[in-house]
This record gives sequence, structure tokens and C-alpha cells, in this order.
Amino acid sequence: FRLNIEGLLVYFPYDYIYPEQYSYMLELKRTLDAKGHGVLEMPSGTGKTISLLSLIVAYQKAYPLEVTKLVYCSRTVPEIEKVVEELRKLMDYYAKQTGVKNDFLALALSSRKNLCIHPEILHANIVVYSYHYLLDPKIADLVSKELAKKSVVVFDEAHNIDNVCIDSMSVNITRRTLDRCQTNVETLQNTISRIKETDAAKLREEYRRLVEGLKEANVARETDIYLSNPVLPDEILQEAVPGSIRTAEHFVGFIKRFLEYLKARLRIHHVVQESAPQFLKDIYEKVCIDRKPLRFCAERLRSLLRTLEIADIADFSAITLISHFATLVSTYSKGFTIIIEPFEDRTPTIANPVLHFSCMDPSIAIKPVFGRFQSVIITSGTLSPLDIYPRILDFRPVTMASFTMTLARTCLCPLIVGRGNDQVAMTSKFETREDFAVIRNYGNLLLEMSAIVPDGIVAFFTSYIYMENIVASWYEQGILENIQRNKLIFIETQDAAETSMALEKYQEACENGRGAILLSVARGKVSEGIDFVHHFGRAVIMFGVPYVYTQSRILKARLEYLRDQFQIRENDFLTFDAMRHAAQCVGRAIRGKTDYGLMIFADKRYARADKRGKLPRWIQEHLTDGSLNLTIDETVQLSKHFLRQMAQPFRREDQLGLSLLTLEQLQSEDMLQKIAQIAQQA
Amino acid sequence: MDEEPERAKRWEGGYERTWEVLKEDESGSLKATVEDILFQAKRKRVFESHGQVRLGMMRHLFVIIDSSRSMEDHDLKPNRLTSTLKLMEYFVEEYFDQNPISQIGIITTKNKRAEKLTDLAGNPKKHIAALKKAVDSTCVGEPSLYNSLNLAMQTLKHMPAHTSKEILVVFSSLTTCDPANIYELIKTLNGLKIRVSVIGLSAEVRVCTILTRETGGSYNVILDESHFKELLILHVKPPPASSSSECSLIRMGFPQHAIASMSDQDAKPSFSMSHLDSAGEPELTLGGYYCPQCRAKYTELPVECKVCGLTLVSAPHLARSFHHLFPLEAFQETPLEEYEAERFCEACQGELKDKSVFTCLACKKVFCVECDLFIHDTLHCCPGCINPIHKNFISI
Repeated sequence: FRLNIEGLLVYFPYDYIYPEQYSYMLELKRTLDAKGHGVLEMPSGTGKTISLLSLIVAYQKAYPLEVTKLVYCSRTVPEIEKVVEELRKLMDYYAKQTGVKNDFLALALSSRKNLCIHPEILHANIVVYSYHYLLDPKIADLVSKELAKKSVVVFDEAHNIDNVCIDSMSVNITRRTLDRCQTNVETLQNTISRIKETDAAKLREEYRRLVEGLKEANVARETDIYLSNPVLPDEILQEAVPGSIRTAEHFVGFIKRFLEYLKARLRIHHVVQESAPQFLKDIYEKVCIDRKPLRFCAERLRSLLRTLEIADIADFSAITLISHFATLVSTYSKGFTIIIEPFEDRTPTIANPVLHFSCMDPSIAIKPVFGRFQSVIITSGTLSPLDIYPRILDFRPVTMASFTMTLARTCLCPLIVGRGNDQVAMTSKFETREDFAVIRNYGNLLLEMSAIVPDGIVAFFTSYIYMENIVASWYEQGILENIQRNKLIFIETQDAAETSMALEKYQEACENGRGAILLSVARGKVSEGIDFVHHFGRAVIMFGVPYVYTQSRILKARLEYLRDQFQIRENDFLTFDAMRHAAQCVGRAIRGKTDYGLMIFADKRYARADKRGKLPRWIQEHLTDGSLNLTIDETVQLSKHFLRQMAQPFRREDQLGLSLLTLEQLQSEDMLQKIAQIAQQA
Repeated sequence: MDEEPERAKRWEGGYERTWEVLKEDESGSLKATVEDILFQAKRKRVFESHGQVRLGMMRHLFVIIDSSRSMEDHDLKPNRLTSTLKLMEYFVEEYFDQNPISQIGIITTKNKRAEKLTDLAGNPKKHIAALKKAVDSTCVGEPSLYNSLNLAMQTLKHMPAHTSKEILVVFSSLTTCDPANIYELIKTLNGLKIRVSVIGLSAEVRVCTILTRETGGSYNVILDESHFKELLILHVKPPPASSSSECSLIRMGFPQHAIASMSDQDAKPSFSMSHLDSAGEPELTLGGYYCPQCRAKYTELPVECKVCGLTLVSAPHLARSFHHLFPLEAFQETPLEEYEAERFCEACQGELKDKSVFTCLACKKVFCVECDLFIHDTLHCCPGCINPIHKNFISI
């Protein structure tokens, strides 16, 4: 139906609307009006996508000069497909209502095989694609740099956006990378000498162009056509490529030298950590490579590959990676750190040296996006606490709001289990995690829950190692055998094929009444991308607080950086990070208003205000004092009660007027007042 | 759980958070909202039954009772099995009371097997005796939904098409151990027009949801004992017949009860034909019901004649199932504020305090919610209409 949102006519392709959707659109409209950025948290399954699409499309239609384009970024291919599906529905509705043939062009870029055709993006009104097309400098340059300034950019499922930013800017170099790079260099050399014999003019032409400098690129940026690229910093646009790497042979020689230097650096027996300036100093002293040519590396390589007309860029990924590393390390003196480790933490006996060039500041990658586009919306089901995102991404939002789920019945039941029946505290704290009593209590909790929860249970551990230890211990104590009398057990492993097999069988067992438990790991594939609707996840148990592995040097460096640069205390960040992952995990079970599920936090530390307060508002709301620090027995009683209540017949009509509205109901005074309370401004 | 010594005492059974029941409605507590929805559903049921529908009066019902390990749970007192069997006894009596020309059979499932406790039969006594005996049986292993449904289906599929074929599963476990794909069986059941309903004792299980949805049955999960009873009683009422079921005329005999006193010299004591089934010693009796077709003697009705296969019922029995066909009209619901006369319920004489009052359309008498439900569920006639001078009598 048609909605009037503060004077804007919005076509909404469904007969009913959730109150929070209306509230969400209201906030969104205000953000667009102010031409600012926004951070919006709304639980999954409440129709975020369609609210976003219908409002922004309506806005585009109403003010075609203010907003020219919608760029919708999502994480995975299935999510992108979902967005396209909703968009199609919306467009059909528009066509039916207005009777005008649709003049909107929407474009979805999902996998590599339908990687875009450049000019089309310029004309499309809506572009749907993955984060990487905008954030990863290697791809962004190809795809996104010509997006108009007056675009609205939406990052959906953005709770991990800082990690995506960091990953896109970080480079890991192993021996294998270097070996492949070596092959690349050889291929290049051969191609160059071949071309030199057949078509020397081509190389000369390139040389001339490089002398001219990157003037064109500079002109383009000044006239504001391109999105700036972090790998191509402003300064180098003003200069010509330095003479030392201008000819193709010299450049290849240069790369070779650089490569040899990196190889030497990897031949170590102890861990080395240094900053970018230190690295540059060292490389100058050892092999006389200057900072300046390094900075041009990425651009120079691109130019060379273009000149040599090499079609298959994928083969040259290793050398491209090295060139990016060269440019980044010489461009940014802050925000990055270099760590060279002789072996992996897990296998300290096997030599496997890695050079981590790791980005510690997510704002570097996303800065051009915030700088260029007039509105950037960051949204997800779990963004609590809201204020931390603007801080770590370094931007100033005009709206920050968290929406709750209006419910006709309380369909989620968060419980914090703090003790076993023997009153021993339950926690995954490092000092006690090997404790026999804790492991046994965790086992008892799962055993008891497996006897009362129907169909599927998903249990999350804090890490693979911890899971292996616990499961082994359960096996010895005979707990596993008892659990298997109630349900089948499946385990997520680091092997993707094995995991997807386990998932498939798990779902089959839930479907045919056998019942199953999936043991998986927070931050793993299951915790992020797989939904457990209805019977596939009637309960989620989170064993312990999923703190990130704090002994990692990369993390330590990042924490230090956050403390120095953004005044975020280490503890605050670690807790925030742990809680957002915990929220993600337990959020897997509730994927809509007719769904229901138990959320069990099995660690007494969750009861503390600093942890609890960082859960999303829509979960916190249902966490009463009576559900903190429970024993296993109490948990079982409460869960039994909850499951019986939820099994009572529940139809759509029961939601009408409470959590599902018709247009008439929406327009009533009462309801509008109620809706005003849904959004909580941070 | 099983390793622990049996918790025999009630106070060891678990926490009953009775204070939670007392939560106020305004707080929007879980209890209140769910109960509200339940109440609405209850009202709806009363209304739904008032359409002009054909009912399957002649029912063949198999009750499958889960007797697996989970039936030992103490959340129903004294345990799930005993509580269930007690309620089943009540159910069987009610069932034959309201469906005199129907039959029932009982199947139990445990240890991955299914086993017939009683075969399809129309005599409540035999079933009740079997149920009483089953109380002492032990609950072990897992149930098998597939095996028990299959067992019931083997008998039901030979029943004539004009009868209503039903299965009611009382399912306590959350798992089922099946030898084959249950979804295939569900298809077959659907093809045979067998309606399967499930009453869950613990929580909603997916396979039951599908099973009942596909076969047109109902699926409910109990909250406590009284809710359990309520849900069972729902199955006493005959379900609407599927439109495709055949109609046919059924021959029935209405034998007169012949009484002979001991003093009567001509009276000859004789055996009842029903002793043929029972293992007990046959008893000689004087009077009885004689089949109008073959003169075989029976001491109890309803029964199917052993000799000529005629269904024997008594007229009052048949009349009792009439109210299903001619139900009492729904009362009109009005909010309490709009109702202006004296605020007394016509039936219980209590004050009208609920949100709405209910008016009989025929006699215009007013009733409270509880009485409205009682009248429609149990009495099946309006006390106001039956006794028109009642009101005057009170006022005098």
C-alpha cells in the first residue's frame, strides 16, 4: 500500500507492515534529508531490506536531483539474491500501481562470472553488490570509482564492517606467495623481451605516458569524477613515475630486487614486529630501494600489464599483491604494522614464515566512501553498542537508532546460566576452562537441554581448540553417549566441504524427527552465514564468551593502536567484539516473528552489566532479572515452560494490530505514538 | 538424568514457579499474552462448530500412546504415563458416551516398536481394563512414530469409506526412531484419508507439525494437566466429514431390554454372546438385550452382533450424539460496558465481571464467559430457554 512518511509518498509492496518498519523508514528519511550518514540497528526478520529499498526508491523518485543512485552492499551471494528478489517485488508493485513502465535500471553484481560491464553501472539507478566492490581497493578501482557523488550507500549486515575494511587493506605474504611472484616476474620478463622484438613502439609509448605523469588521473580526481583510492594516494598523482622504474626492464628488475629482499626477511627464527618507517629504513639500507619508487609500484605494474595486453590478470595475483604491499607500506606511516612470524602459533615446530602487513585502522579503507557519498547507511541486526562504530570508523553520523521487535508474544527467551547444579560457577575464563567441574557442567547443560528441546539445537564454542578439548573430555566422561540417546551430534570443522555435509545431515535429522545438535564455533562459517529458522534451531547455546584470541600479535598491535588513536580501552573493545559475536550466534535462531527460540548464554560473566549492556536492545529487553545466573535445573524448568507456551497455536491474525499493521491501523493516533517509542536514539 | 535415583517425591520433582502464574496482565507478561490467545482460540472453537457441516458420526479411532523413556518425566503428577492413562480412561468413557456407534483401539509404542494394546472395538470396558493394566508397564527406549502409524493404518485402511478414520497420537518424546522415511508414510495416510492428530506432552516437534498439517488433523501441546484434559476432550467431538467421503445407509438394531425376575418360573438363565471375546468365566444371566435379527443375547450396548454382524444400539444412545448435528447457537458477545441491565449471570448467579457478556439470541438471557463455555461444551442446551419462568421465580 501507499504510505505517507513525513510528506514522502512511499509504495510498500505488502498488505501489512510491522510498526518497526515504519519507524525505520522514518529515521532513514531523516538521514537522507540531512544528507548525512546513519547507523541503524533492527533485528533480522523484521523486513529491513524491503523498508530500505522502498524508502530509498521513493526518495529517488521524488527528488531525482538530490539522490541519483542507490548502492546496496551486502555480504554474501545468497543475501544479494534476497535483495534482488525484494527489489523485483517492489518494482512489480510500482508498475502495477502507477501503470507506467518501469524506467528504473537495477543491477546486481554477485559472483565473478557476472562481473560488471563498466558503463552500465553509470546508468543504473540501483546497484546491488558485495562489500568488496566498494571497500577493497583492488576491486573498487575497477568497479566503483565512477559512482556519482549523490549516491546513497547502504551497508547491510554491517556488524563486521571494520574487519572487512581491515582485511581488504591487509596483506599476508608467505613463501608460496613469493615463489608464485617469482614465476610472474619471469613471465613478465619473457613477454617484455618478446614484445621488444616485435613491437618496440608500444613500450616507448608507455614510457612517454609515464613521463607525462598520471595527469589524467589527477584531472579526473579534481573534477570529482572518481572515488579516491587508498592505494593511489593523492600525492603521487601530481608527480611523474620516477625514472628508475620507468622502462619495463628496469621495473622488472626493481621488483626482482624487492622480492629478494622479502625472501631474505622471511628467513628468520624469531618474531619481528616493526612499523612501516622502520621497514622502509631497513630496505633502504639493505638493498637501496627508495621510498618513492615503491609508492608507484601498484600503478606502474598496472600500466605494464595493460601495455603487455595480458588478458588473464588472475595469474598475476601474487605480483599484484606484492605491488600493493609496496605502495601501501611506503604511503602510510601510521595505521599499519609489519609482523614477521617464523611459524604459525598452532604448529610451532613447522617452519612456515609469514609476513603480516596488517591494517589496524578500519577507517583508512572506508574513508573515501564516507568522504565521497552524501549518505552512507550502516545497518544490521546487531550493532550494539551503536556509538562504537562511528568511533572506530571515524565518521560522524546524523542518526543513530536501535529498533526493537514488536511482538504479539514473547518469542525469544534469553537465559544466562551461571552455575551447575553443584553451584560451581560456569565460565570459559582462561584460568578455569580446563577445570573438570566446568567441563562436566557444560556437558550436563547440553545433555539436559537435548532432552527437552525439540528438533535442532545449535551450540557455539569460543574456538575450535576449546571445542575439541571439551568434546574429548565429554567423550571420556560418557556424557556424549548420553546425549546421543536424545539427539544426533554434528560438528563443524575447519574443512568447508565437511561442514556443509554436516549441515545437510543436521537439517535432515531436524526435519524427520530424529533431532540433532550442531556443535560449532563462534566466528566460524556457521555463526555468520547460516540461518537456523524454526525447527532448525529451537535453542542456541553459547558456551563461554567468544573473546578473540588475545595472544595474537596482530590483535595486540590493533588494540594498542585503538587505545592510542581512538581512546578505546582494550577491554572495552574486546568485550564489544565478543558480545557482537555472541549476539550474532544466538541471533541465528530467531529469523522472524513467527519463529521462536531459546538463547542460552552459558557463562556467568554474561550477567555482568558491562556484558549484558552490550547486547542488542531487542535481546536485552527480554532479559529480566529472573533469568540471570541460573542453575542448570532452573534453566531446564524455564525452557520447558517457554517451549510449551510457544507451541500453542499462533496465527497471523493474532499479530494483527499488535505487531503487524494494516494501513488503517498504522494511521491511528495511538499507534503512531507507540511507534515513536520503538526507535531509541543512541 | 537417568543415573540419578528416581525422584519419587513431589517436592523433589522440580521448581514450580507458582508466582509466575500470578503475574498481572498489564505487564504484558508472556503468560498473560499466550493465555489471551488461547482464550480467543477457545471462543473461536465454539463458533466454528456452528457451521452447517456434515460430521463423521461413525468413527474409527486409534489412540497411539507413547510409552517411551520420556513418559517417566515427573512434570505431570505422579508421572506422565500414569497421568496420561488416567485421562485416557476418562476419554474413552466420554468418547463412547458421545459417539455410541464408533469404535476405538489403543496402540502403545516403546523401544522402537509398536504394539496393539486393544483392537478396534466398541466396548469401553475392555479398553478401560487394558488401560488400567498398562499403568504398571515400564517406559523404555524411544518411540517409533512410523511403526505405530503403520500398525494403525493396517487396520484402518480396511474400514468402509463412509466412516471417519482417525488416529490420535499422545506424543511425549521429542524424537522418533523410524525404519523408513516417514514423509512417504504421511503421503500414504493422506491418500487413505486417515486424519492424524497429535497431542504433544513436551514441545512442538517438526515432524508432528507436518504430519498433522498434511493429514488435516490438529496439533496441540499441553501446558499442564487441565489443559491436557481440555485438549483430549476436543477429540471427543466428531470431526467434520471430508466432502469426498461416501454416504451410505447403515442397518442398525434397537433391541429391547427384556427383564426377567428371579421369581418368574419361565425365566431361563443364559450366556451373553459377548463372553466369546473375554477371557473370564462366562456368567449366566436372566435378562439382556436380544438382537432383533438373530435373537443372540447381549448384556451391554452398544455392540456389534457376533452372529449376524448387525450394529446394536439403544435409542437414547443415538439420540445423545444428535446434539453434534443440531448444536446450540452461539451467544451474542457484547462488551460489559455496553450492557446496562442487572449484572448477574443467569446460570451461576455470579456477578458479571469479565470483559464481555453473552446473550442467548432465543431467550435474551445473559451469561458470563465460563457459563457460556459450559453451556456450549457440556450442556448443549440453553438453561434460559428450557426454563422460561425461572427468571420470574427468582424475582418473586
